[in-house]
Amino acid sequence: MISADLNIIAPEIVLAVFAMLGLVAAVYSGKDRVAGILLWATVALFLVVAAWIGLNGQGTNPAFGGMFMDDAFSRFAKVIILLSAAAILAMSKDYMERRDLLRFEYPVLVTLAIVGMMMMVSAGDLIALYMGLELQSLALYVVASLRRDSVKSTEAGLKYFVLGALSSGLLLYGASLAYGYAGTTLFSGIVVAASDGHLSLGLLIAVVFIIAGLGFKVSAVPFHMWTPDVYEGSPTPITAFFATAPKVAAMALFARILHDAFGQAPGDWGQVIALIAVLSMFLGSIAAIGQRNIKRLMAYSSIAHMGYALMGLAAGTEFGVTALLVYMAIYVTMNVGTFAFILTMERDGQPVTDIDSLNMYSKAHPGRAFAMLILLFSLAGVPPMLGFFGKFYVLRAAYEAGFVWLALGGVLASVIGAYYYLRIVFLMYFGKEQEELGVDRSPILYGLLMTSAAIMLIGIVNMFGVEGAAAAAAATLVN
Amino acid sequence: MNNASLLPIMALLPFLGALVPGLMIRAGRTACATFTAVPTILALVMLGLCAPDVFRGEVLQIEFEWLPALGLSVSFFLDGLGLLFAGMILFVGLLITLYARFYLSGDDPAGQFFTYLLLFQGAMLGIVLSNNILLLLIFWELTSLSSFLLIGYWTHLPEGRQGARMALTVTGMGGLSMIAGMLILGNIAGSYELTDILAAGDAIKSSDYYLPALLLILGGAFTKSAQFPFHFWLPHAMAAPTPVSAYLHSATMVKAGVFLMARMWPALAGTDAWFYAVGTVGLITMVLGALIALFKDDLKALLAFSTVSHLGLLTMMLGFGTEAAAIGAVFHIINHLTFKAALFMTAGIVDHEAHTRDIKRLGGLRHLMPITFVIAVIAGLSMAGIPLFNGFLSKELMLEEAAHTDWRGSHYAVPILATLGALLSVAYSFRFISHTFFGPVRDDYPAKPHDPNFGMWAAPGLLVVLVLLIGIFPQATVGPLVELAATAVVGHELHHWHDLKIWHGVTPALIMSAIAVLGGLILLALHRPLERLWNAVPRPEAKVIFDHVVGWAVAGSDWIAHKTHNGAISRYLAIFVVSTLALGAIAASGGGLAPATRALLPVPPLAWIGFLLLVVAAIAVVLLHRERFLSLILISIVGLGVSGGFVYLSAPDLALTQISVETVTIMLMLLALHFLPKSTPAESGIFRRVRDGAIALGVGGAVASLTFAFLLRDFSSISEFHLTQSKVGGGGTNVVNVILVDFRGYDTFGEIIVLGIAGLIIYALMHALLDGPAARRLRNWEFTQERSRDRHPMLMVIATRVMLPMTAMVGVYIFLRGHNEPGGGFVAGLIIAIALLMQYMASGFGWAQERQRIEYHAMIGWGVAIAGLTGTAAWLFGKPFLTSSFGYFHIPPIEEFELATAMAFDLGVFLTVLGAVMLMLYSLSRIARYAGETVNTAAMDYDPSQGIRETTEEER
Repeated sequence: MISADLNIIAPEIVLAVFAMLGLVAAVYSGKDRVAGILLWATVALFLVVAAWIGLNGQGTNPAFGGMFMDDAFSRFAKVIILLSAAAILAMSKDYMERRDLLRFEYPVLVTLAIVGMMMMVSAGDLIALYMGLELQSLALYVVASLRRDSVKSTEAGLKYFVLGALSSGLLLYGASLAYGYAGTTLFSGIVVAASDGHLSLGLLIAVVFIIAGLGFKVSAVPFHMWTPDVYEGSPTPITAFFATAPKVAAMALFARILHDAFGQAPGDWGQVIALIAVLSMFLGSIAAIGQRNIKRLMAYSSIAHMGYALMGLAAGTEFGVTALLVYMAIYVTMNVGTFAFILTMERDGQPVTDIDSLNMYSKAHPGRAFAMLILLFSLAGVPPMLGFFGKFYVLRAAYEAGFVWLALGGVLASVIGAYYYLRIVFLMYFGKEQEELGVDRSPILYGLLMTSAAIMLIGIVNMFGVEGAAAAAAATLVN
Repeated sequence: MNNASLLPIMALLPFLGALVPGLMIRAGRTACATFTAVPTILALVMLGLCAPDVFRGEVLQIEFEWLPALGLSVSFFLDGLGLLFAGMILFVGLLITLYARFYLSGDDPAGQFFTYLLLFQGAMLGIVLSNNILLLLIFWELTSLSSFLLIGYWTHLPEGRQGARMALTVTGMGGLSMIAGMLILGNIAGSYELTDILAAGDAIKSSDYYLPALLLILGGAFTKSAQFPFHFWLPHAMAAPTPVSAYLHSATMVKAGVFLMARMWPALAGTDAWFYAVGTVGLITMVLGALIALFKDDLKALLAFSTVSHLGLLTMMLGFGTEAAAIGAVFHIINHLTFKAALFMTAGIVDHEAHTRDIKRLGGLRHLMPITFVIAVIAGLSMAGIPLFNGFLSKELMLEEAAHTDWRGSHYAVPILATLGALLSVAYSFRFISHTFFGPVRDDYPAKPHDPNFGMWAAPGLLVVLVLLIGIFPQATVGPLVELAATAVVGHELHHWHDLKIWHGVTPALIMSAIAVLGGLILLALHRPLERLWNAVPRPEAKVIFDHVVGWAVAGSDWIAHKTHNGAISRYLAIFVVSTLALGAIAASGGGLAPATRALLPVPPLAWIGFLLLVVAAIAVVLLHRERFLSLILISIVGLGVSGGFVYLSAPDLALTQISVETVTIMLMLLALHFLPKSTPAESGIFRRVRDGAIALGVGGAVASLTFAFLLRDFSSISEFHLTQSKVGGGGTNVVNVILVDFRGYDTFGEIIVLGIAGLIIYALMHALLDGPAARRLRNWEFTQERSRDRHPMLMVIATRVMLPMTAMVGVYIFLRGHNEPGGGFVAGLIIAIALLMQYMASGFGWAQERQRIEYHAMIGWGVAIAGLTGTAAWLFGKPFLTSSFGYFHIPPIEEFELATAMAFDLGVFLTVLGAVMLMLYSLSRIARYAGETVNTAAMDYDPSQGIRETTEEER
């Protein structure tokens, strides 16, 4: 019945209604003057909804005839998405306010994007998938070019939009092929059409196009082209947002559609994903070496990280999905901390993103430098930081699924990638003497930086139970 | 209590202890050092408690679950090898703590130092005690991290920076590569427990992945133990405080690689690959390190290269893969520890007292620092391998083993090179002693040297006592330990164990040793000319090579980044599209294509003509894209062609919609054309155009062939459902319209909202735009082209005015018949919009505006509202939103006809479409007014009667 269905999507409805009411309320009241309050309200709501979903949800509940799935997998992804978005919003407030970027549309757009992401991870149907994806993307296109007076930001937004439109087109094309060959848009129907262990040619091409479209969203090579430009051009808090929640959503959606709709033939798409993964890892690692701008560097870093996450997906096994989820959870935590650090980098009140400005950072700010050191080691996947655990998970998943070359390639890429993370560490501790870099003393940024660094260390005890939740989530997806 | 339970406590103690000095950072050196010593001593005691069990041949094991899904567990074990290393680590750690207490000055933050030291100690201890290879990996990288902190302790020394960077980069990367090796081993053995892996040695060696696993693990071991070609980082890390160098870079951390090779011996050793990889690298490192050490002037650099050389020796011994070699390696590990740590500390004392480590500025210290001198001589002679000192014994074992090792069929390569290594080792050892301590006393030392206080020389003193004790009574002192550890290395009982003794008779090894000592002395005598030669000969400097390699890597990565990311969106799109095409092609070639099941239909001439028209028009657009007007016309031909196709394929409703949409868009575009810049962007070069053309053709061809293939095969279609259900479920025979207003009413409702919003947004954007610089540009618009004198051609004015009521009626007709015949609200809206558009074009905006009664904004709003209300009306009857209903009514004067709620919905569609289109037009006209179009402001009016009146008045 419809009321039962509505109950299942209640969190999404609450957020969507909140976004619309917030928009209207802000327009008819103080506009940008209420942006701060709206932002805090959004953060609080995200946290509440995350708790609601995380603590309350149970079992697998399909809604609207299977178009929308509420299961352990979607709940896992939603909690990460909401928490990371709340963290990013909270840490962006001061920064944006000081630079006169805090528009009331910002929290509203983020909320809408989050609703889209929640739709994405719960999608049980090609149409629902597309709805969520576009809701997310449209909000993100706008957010990317929020700084309208900056040519770079505008250009980034435009590029993102044009390429995003192309990718959506490809995805739709793939979806229509899938529909044409399976006769249904429901994942549960498509998976039946592919039940003999191999996909028919039409479905195979469909899945390739869907992969291309989603590859863009997770910024996997060769569909990654927008990432460095958008990361660099957007205001830093928005870059941080791009690096976290949307990546989780797109990755979860990726896993969802490949397993739910094409799960009977992992051999057919596993190779494609593996190829994309290995390209991403290597290009991300190699191209980052020459970067001087830390935001651009983080863009390539995220490309490489998506390669690792995709490795878990390529495995096509339940353990692979567990690995993917664990990896994404760790990745998001690391990125929140790293961007909290980047947001503090400033000189005379102006944001600085040049890596060379970090020379001898440890001397002036030993605590922050040490936290960043831990994060960078974790990003590089150096044991015993949490980042290593994530990496080992996906490596093992790929290896055990028979992708030995992929696992070896992953290690090789991480060896290359370690260079640029370690270079920052080196600069901070042994760089040239120079005028010291100022910091934004915001307690939120400091807190998030330290918390995330602490998680990288303390998390190795039991990963805060994420592993078990991820395994449960994966079990609902792969069966 | 089982002694095994002491193992985790032992491994944890240093970490817990590390907190204490860190917290009491201001308490002073003595307090910090004391609190550093306490956990070390405790751990030593525990080790002592465990030792009897191990000597009895037991292997102590303990395991706790950690992350079972990952294969990670907290699992420790202690066997002979672990006992040896753990003992070394703790014992030297204790000595270093004592030494550092006196070495550090009061200004140095001692608390930090000792914290790092304990962290490091804990990590090392973890490596040697781990029974889980993942746990081992964790501890392994922890040593990198803590050593980084220790090396960075004195950040004020510029030369230290490069060293720290290299150390971190090289060992960090090596450690990462080991991850893959461990992964492979774990998978072959089916467990990540070290004991299981060691037991699965045969399976590992026969596996396909043995070689990659071996190379990856050696990558970690070689980088850590500074083996050629990674040897360069170790000497550069020597800028660290001397206690750090003594602890990390001679006694413990660099031995981790050796330890790993020894540990993995049962699983990996004994194959040709092992012999050639490990043995050869060790041999090269040994000779090369010794050679460079001979020509180093910095005491610590000399010792560093000597360490490299000795690590090479150990690696080579392990590489030989024989039992005797393993015994020799274990024995040498102990010996090297004693003399090299003592030497490092001595060098530190010299540096501390004389304030220089440059051998060229030293000499004659024998008289000034007698105690230091004695210590240095004993340790140095041991390093040189002189009998009665312990270095001699293990060197003999090495030479003995080398003497009968073949290398690719050659009997002489290994013995000769090993002798050479020993010879060089003698030379630099003697040089260290003679050039520092012998010779005349100088008067230009940077500081007046004298022996340090007892605390500082106690540690090296104790070590050299051990040197002598082991050297003279080898079996009594360390014999059992060596046997025990060697047993652990090879993984089974030793078959050829002989007690350690000094005299073996005149063996080849003794002869080689004698040659080495003699040759070494000769080399030392010839040192001056040789040094000139050494400095004159160009040689590859590892650091320079490292910097170059890094430089190339950076340049290469820049090149890749710039090639793929040049900032041009056209390139991004090209990469995107080509990759998708490639992926699609791979997929298409991989899967089997089912044979075509549908035959091609015959193609009548009319279809050919239409098809050709489409193709020609499309090509013409590409060729004439600079002529915007022509392009628009050509595009409209394409549109009409498509509509014609719909007609031809019996889809009149689609055709009708298509034609009206086509007309409206072309008209709006024609109006907008006027405001585009009167120039076109520069054309790209021919190469680029050909390339882009190829990409476009490729993609177009792929899509076309895909569609073609698709159409040739059976597919299940949903049209059947709609055709049958249209009348029954939706009450209409026009399936398209029924789909729009009924089956897919939700979509349509959403779409009209979108359309309305689009209209509003264009309006709003125009509003914002006309406040900015765009308005100024428009005001200064220069209309270069001649404009028509007759702005309102009379014929057109009249025609459009006459046509308006007729078109409106057609619109209403189309609207009304929509449910059953081609037509509907959408088309009707467009048709009326076309009629109004024509009015604007013919009579000007001002004229039309005057006659407009309804606000377009309101029209959109009403449209959406009506559609929405129709939908909600269904709720009144307990049906879901937008459920439509229909009935047949007989109104007497007319006929019986059908009324469907869908019709009200359609009205909403109609109003929205009309409003949106007109709002867009309004926005365009605003631009025109800004650009100075007068016709848009003042109403054009031809009132014929007025003309007549004027004439008649004149006549009057």
